[in-house]
Amino acid sequence: MTAFKPRPSQQKIVDALLSDRTHRRLGVSAVPGSGKTHILSYLTAELIPHIDEEQEVLVVTLVNAAVDNFRRRVNEFIRQKGLLPGLNYRVCTLHSLAHEIVRQRPALVGLSHDFQILDDRAAAYIRREVVEAWLASNRDLLEGYLADVSDPRKVRNKDLPELALSIAERFIKEAKDRRLTPRRLEDALYSHPAPLPLARFGVEVYRDYQARLARVGVDFDDLIRLAADALDFDPDFLARLQQRWPYILEDEAQDSSRLQQTILDRLAGDRGVWVRVGDPNQAIYETFTTAAPHHLRDFLARPDVLDLPMPEAGRSSASIIALANHLIDWTMQAHPLPDARDALQPPYIRPTPPGDPQPNPPDCPDRIVLHPEKFSSEKEINTVVRSVKKWLAENPDKSVAILDAQNRRGAEVVSALRRAGVDYVELLRSTASTRSAAEVLAAALSYLARPDDSPRLVELFSMWRRDTLEQEAYRPLYEWITTTLSRCRRLEDYLWPGPGEDWLETQLSTLSEEAWAAGTDPDEDESIRQIRACLEEFRTLVRRWQAASVLPVDQLVLLLAQDLFSQPADLALAHKFALVLRQTADENPAFRLAQFADLLAEIASNRRRFLGFDEEDSGFEPPKGKVTVATMHRAKGLEWDRVYLLGVNDYSFPSGQAGEGYYSEKWFVRDALNLEAEALGQLDALVRRTPYREGTATEQARIGLVKERLRLLYVGLTRARQELVVTWNTGRPNAGRSENRPALPFLALSQWWKDRPEAGKEGNREQ
Amino acid sequence: MPVTFLTGPAGCGKTTYAVDQLRRWLVEQIPSSSILVLTPQQTLAHPYRQLLCQPDLPPAGEVDILTINGLARRTIDLFWPLGAVSSGFGRPNARPIFLDIEQAQYFLRQAIDPLLQEGYFDPTATPLTVPLPRLMSQLLDNLNKAALIGLPHTAVADRLLRSLAPELPGHRLALEHAQVCINRFRQFCLDRNLLDFSLQMEMFYRHLWPVPGVRQYLTRRYRYLIADNLEEDTPLTHAILRDWLPHTEAALLVMDEDAGYRIFLGANPQTAARLAGLADETIRLDRSHVMPAEMAAFGDQLGRLVVGQKVPRRPAKSTAPNPRQAFDFVQTRFYPQMLAQVVDRIAELVAAGTPPSEIVVLAPFVSDVLRFAFTEQMKRRGLAVRSHRPSRPLNREPAARTMLTLARLAFPHLGLLPDEFDVAQALHQAIDSLDPVRASLLTQVVYRRGTLTAFEKITTDMRQRITYQAGVKFDQLRAWLVDAQAEQPSPPLDHFFSRLFGEVLSQPGFGFHTNLEAGQTAARLVDSARRFRRVAEQVPLEINGPALRFPDGDWLNRTYLETIEQGLLAAQYLHGWETAANEAVLITPATTFLMSNRPVDYQFWLDAGSSGWWERIAQPLTHPYIMSATWEPDRPWTDADEVAAQRDRLYRLVLGLTRRCRKQVFIYNPEVNEQGFDQRGQLLILLQRLSRLTLEDD
Repeated sequence: MTAFKPRPSQQKIVDALLSDRTHRRLGVSAVPGSGKTHILSYLTAELIPHIDEEQEVLVVTLVNAAVDNFRRRVNEFIRQKGLLPGLNYRVCTLHSLAHEIVRQRPALVGLSHDFQILDDRAAAYIRREVVEAWLASNRDLLEGYLADVSDPRKVRNKDLPELALSIAERFIKEAKDRRLTPRRLEDALYSHPAPLPLARFGVEVYRDYQARLARVGVDFDDLIRLAADALDFDPDFLARLQQRWPYILEDEAQDSSRLQQTILDRLAGDRGVWVRVGDPNQAIYETFTTAAPHHLRDFLARPDVLDLPMPEAGRSSASIIALANHLIDWTMQAHPLPDARDALQPPYIRPTPPGDPQPNPPDCPDRIVLHPEKFSSEKEINTVVRSVKKWLAENPDKSVAILDAQNRRGAEVVSALRRAGVDYVELLRSTASTRSAAEVLAAALSYLARPDDSPRLVELFSMWRRDTLEQEAYRPLYEWITTTLSRCRRLEDYLWPGPGEDWLETQLSTLSEEAWAAGTDPDEDESIRQIRACLEEFRTLVRRWQAASVLPVDQLVLLLAQDLFSQPADLALAHKFALVLRQTADENPAFRLAQFADLLAEIASNRRRFLGFDEEDSGFEPPKGKVTVATMHRAKGLEWDRVYLLGVNDYSFPSGQAGEGYYSEKWFVRDALNLEAEALGQLDALVRRTPYREGTATEQARIGLVKERLRLLYVGLTRARQELVVTWNTGRPNAGRSENRPALPFLALSQWWKDRPEAGKEGNREQ
Repeated sequence: MPVTFLTGPAGCGKTTYAVDQLRRWLVEQIPSSSILVLTPQQTLAHPYRQLLCQPDLPPAGEVDILTINGLARRTIDLFWPLGAVSSGFGRPNARPIFLDIEQAQYFLRQAIDPLLQEGYFDPTATPLTVPLPRLMSQLLDNLNKAALIGLPHTAVADRLLRSLAPELPGHRLALEHAQVCINRFRQFCLDRNLLDFSLQMEMFYRHLWPVPGVRQYLTRRYRYLIADNLEEDTPLTHAILRDWLPHTEAALLVMDEDAGYRIFLGANPQTAARLAGLADETIRLDRSHVMPAEMAAFGDQLGRLVVGQKVPRRPAKSTAPNPRQAFDFVQTRFYPQMLAQVVDRIAELVAAGTPPSEIVVLAPFVSDVLRFAFTEQMKRRGLAVRSHRPSRPLNREPAARTMLTLARLAFPHLGLLPDEFDVAQALHQAIDSLDPVRASLLTQVVYRRGTLTAFEKITTDMRQRITYQAGVKFDQLRAWLVDAQAEQPSPPLDHFFSRLFGEVLSQPGFGFHTNLEAGQTAARLVDSARRFRRVAEQVPLEINGPALRFPDGDWLNRTYLETIEQGLLAAQYLHGWETAANEAVLITPATTFLMSNRPVDYQFWLDAGSSGWWERIAQPLTHPYIMSATWEPDRPWTDADEVAAQRDRLYRLVLGLTRRCRKQVFIYNPEVNEQGFDQRGQLLILLQRLSRLTLEDD
């Protein structure tokens, strides 16, 4: 690694921290590709000589993936300074920081030293039970929100409970972010003049959920809330932490929640230095979380904050930059919804100055295509897959990504790529390895719960051979085995045969006879040998697993993992699963293997966050010669030579126009209300003791979504280094809903791109 | 002989000296019945017991080697009538019922259940996030600590509140609830003659020890005292010794410097040290017979860093011992990788001739999952391993589960019928020739509404599939269960288990035949059921009626089965008969190892980044320092106290461990812990600093 020389804009930040030192609060708006990880790592290493031996520079970032990346870079800078890496700094996510704070003084916030943290799945499980119990006796309260529908029973039994669950999740999350206790909310509810049914639902579910949780552990949101409480409860403790972390560098500050700000502000105190680096134009988590970009914008506007933008970026070519900057302009000046015009704001992206170590790639305007054609959902995917296949053949040493706004569509793209024989890597919301490890273990437990069940054994076989199952060379072998095994009516004759009753030998002798008849010597037949070897090995393993099935589930999982996994990350995941299952077993003594299998299957399928160990998560480097499939959200922070943005229509990117559909406004809810938003609106009215007006929160949520999707499009565009293809589709055929149209910002960008003076001078090679 | 106070750091031969003293007394024909050896816990008595087994000792009777609790129980048993009334027991004419910790939890739950139903510890009103068993253990802990420092049990919450920031929201209410529960449990015990640990200690110290006859009996009987590891014992023990010493012919008090690992259990090194003032002579041993110079330097320098002292630079090319040579540090990414590498290293050491017993694997906490994962990896490499406790609670032992399921089948009138999965597993375990597939099939066809159909009643096809060999054994088992069911009244479960094992399961053709592990588990189960019955059958169900109503056999059987299913009677301790193989690598929590007071050649410290090396066991409803004899009531517990306690704990641990290591410490750290969290605790940071200092030196 060559010595890092900061650009002028970066140098200002370095000087402000190391030379000037008059500001204790710094805000840095960093445009996409401006190298904020690099400068933060550099700053960390530069600050270390300025702190005491007992102190640390604290770097707080958004996701685990970034932690390793930071650590690697900081260590490189530290080595360059001739120091021993690993000391005097700490990189963590907000959750791990909160964990660190609470763990140091657990009793302060009512916890034992070995308190449990429930992962999202376990928390969701409790929430579901609480919501179902509530609905069983209070359903009428929510039914007032239902529209006249053709199948009210289905709505009541299925759609409404699902919606109630998501309302509960958002409500509880918001209440915790505001540090509101159930008791305080209950008091407010009973003293509020107006009936607030959604708030009542939220408060009562929150109360019952917390009561259940308190006998088990804390959820992720509690962890953060309790960390803030611990800092408030003991000023000496706070002072000790302030002394320990004199510099706090916050990455991705645009995604910071209210409580994150509170915690970091308290930790920085009057004497500490807090540097917030982020890009409000890339704030894309507002609708899922309690993050809000205005937190950072408000911070940057504070008089005590030194605002130091980093506008230069060497990631993209001039045309990509121009396109992204135009999206800012169009949003600010021409967006039809005036309230959405502040969604994107300067700084504009500027190319790096001459001589910069990260020069912008050469401009290829002819490789930028904003495809006007109307596609069906399926046709769009097939067209893009054909295009990417052709492109990869011509550019095997370059990287390419297909990005969609929806996770579900990512899975469809993956299927299409697989069918077309295109190499890909998946980067969807929950990583493949977490799903896969859970899936494999779920299959094993499910079989062991019913050891005489052939289909389950076949499923387990497929999981056991998952690494080679799809390979062409093995396909006939495995097809034969799975088909034949699924027809085995007496599994005991395969797994535990008595004398003369070995099912495997019978199958093999049939095969041998067929080989003789075909004129082959069965002893020379490779496929017969392979079948024998494979099924004998599988039998030995299954017997071992069956013998172990009497063990407690945690021990069984550890034993299975030894046979089923070889990757360190998978083994670590299995270890974690063992702990989680053990905890579940302690809480539910009546659970047996079938229930544990269900639980793992849920982790495997629900794609929820499971605090895990995925190596592929940390420091993902887009591979060359393969397609990365990701959501636009997941692609943040990454870059590819060529990027396809799919599904840029008015459903995924609404603009507040008539006829647009909003996925949060359920078809079975009257007056197109967004009940999640209305519940938060009622919570707000409760806390502020203000009147509540139905529909306002829905309207605000629409505007919020419009703005967030503009920023998501901006993020999508700026993932591309040189080449960009943007398409849209009409969506799935759906009775009662009109076809999707191209998103307004897409049309605006297309028009501008077509009308720009240079247009038409380069040939369009894309078809 | 005078009273001798023997002190010094670990590894200098203090216990050897004390054992020699005992030998001298015996050789000098001092009556063995007049000698008492007091240790804080049984494991520390091991060297004394070993001496008594030696053939070269002159013939003598038994020497009493007791903990203070053991002494208390004996005394209460002997002098019960003298203290029962003054202690407030409701049935002074009936025998006392001593409770172990599991039984105390069981009765505590009974006592406070009505309060919990009323809303005590309601999570929306009190800020506690504590599972119920943990909540109960904290209540018992408070009672025990109060008894050990002479604090009335009614004053617990007040003492904690005065020191623990009373303004914390909800904390006051939580502690008030705790106090009501403590009072309720105490009254529950008094009414029923139940003596948990706290009542045993209180009755002994406050109601029997002051009685002249009792004190004379003890002091006249035991005129020769050895009290070892005083720093790990409680202020109550120290107070009793203070009264006792003037009456002894000779006494040897032994104290380990820089120790005190049981502070969280009420140990108090300060009150121990004060006993030196009563001694006629003090001997200090300070030359380690264990540590090489590099290990001493490592312990010393790491200890200095812990308490914030500067570590002096070693001059270049110095011949002074280099602490870096005493330890090896290995970083891995994931937890299982760490375990795999540890096992590799152990295999190398054993292959090079190190006896496995000279290797110990230590972690701040040893979860069941860690223990099992490690044990399995060791077994796969053919390496012997042992642990400080059984690897599974009783209700998770396959053999115990089998017997419990069969008990449910044998006593259907209890209304605890097992589900199909449990029955299939039990049949597979119980019948030698029945594999899991056939066991599942068999269960599906014979198990209906809690009863098992005879093998002959099922279809021929199915009989062939199951095999007649297995069918014969199934019928034998079934017939035995039917007979047991017919017994009126139902036998106690311990009898039932004992017979089930002896008459069926251990016989040829059945699953436990030649299965030693299953035999041990069966013995644990029988013991657990017997202990429960013997206590529970003496405790009246209702004490307010005209006549006391005691539980009948069905009640006892049902309650035992329900309680053990909930994991409350885990019996997760080693029995005297379960002698673990000594020639094995030991895996244990660091403090447990220290309490065994045994040096080894090699130590492996796992999870160096864990905060458990540094931070105390924190509980929201109790506090080992505020509930200690030397704490000034009303003094607020501050963050500075917390840090000082952490430093003190780590300092003692580091010195204790290094002083018990003859050759090398291997330190391992996974970047992310078992749960997936990044970890960088204080021990890790200090080790890195020490490494940096050493690197700079080199």
